[in-house]
Amino acid sequence: MGINSAKLGAVLQNFATGTSDVQGVALVTPDGLPLASSLPGGMDEERVSAMSAAMLSLGERIGTELTRGGIDRILVEGEDGYAILTSCGQDAVFLVLASKSAKQGVLMLEIKRAVSELKLLLI
Amino acid sequence: MTASTLIANQIRPELGDFGSIVCFKAVVTGIEEALGEKAALIALIAAGRVRGKQLASALNIQSGMPLEQITSAMQGALGQAGTRLCVIDKIVMVDDAYQVFCRETICSSGEPQGSPRSLSYTMGALQGVLEIATGKRLRGAQVESVLRGSNHDVAEFKEY
Repeated sequence: MGINSAKLGAVLQNFATGTSDVQGVALVTPDGLPLASSLPGGMDEERVSAMSAAMLSLGERIGTELTRGGIDRILVEGEDGYAILTSCGQDAVFLVLASKSAKQGVLMLEIKRAVSELKLLLI
Repeated sequence: MTASTLIANQIRPELGDFGSIVCFKAVVTGIEEALGEKAALIALIAAGRVRGKQLASALNIQSGMPLEQITSAMQGALGQAGTRLCVIDKIVMVDDAYQVFCRETICSSGEPQGSPRSLSYTMGALQGVLEIATGKRLRGAQVESVLRGSNHDVAEFKEY
């Protein structure tokens, strides 16, 4: 059975609209191709996808080379908000963009829930 | 002449517009060393896709063109008369996949027989052109390699 893109898109859309302070989301393949996304206008989906996959891969390498173990997520904290990359099993990488006012604990919990839901759709 | 088929000394008056494979390979292996093979592969394929899409635009390749016409345009732009990324012998449809048969790819050049190296930038460039030509999002995989006993580097692209 193929991946249900419509369902993936719906889960992302629900996450983006139902989680406070979330500004954009994307689900991409580990080789950097877009699966589904809901990104702010002006962001190139394909570039975001390649960047996300490369970043998570780089994080994994840092984890190995610098003996930090397996990588659960990468958090980029900027002046204007967060970009959080979470591994979504073997088949995908989940990117969440959130504003600076986001509560990190709530955000991480919501991401964990969304990842569980997305993994079921990627089997 | 299109921007994709530069063979004259249009950018560098003295040295000409071609660089060495040795330098290209050093860039690839250097990126791999710094970022890791996987991240480097993603970056190189992404770079290739962007280049492929630019090329498709320069060649006026549009969705729905016959495969023979696309093949001919790519052969001209990427082969001996073009940027010399690789020789494309043919592009065929196998079930729902596009298979591109290449030789002398820049990615495999200079590698010893048995090397595990796979196509990266070349794969992306082919993918970028085919994505524009087919109007589909494709996912590529290398299914044969000249480094592992085949006569061609064969890249296979399927819609995902």
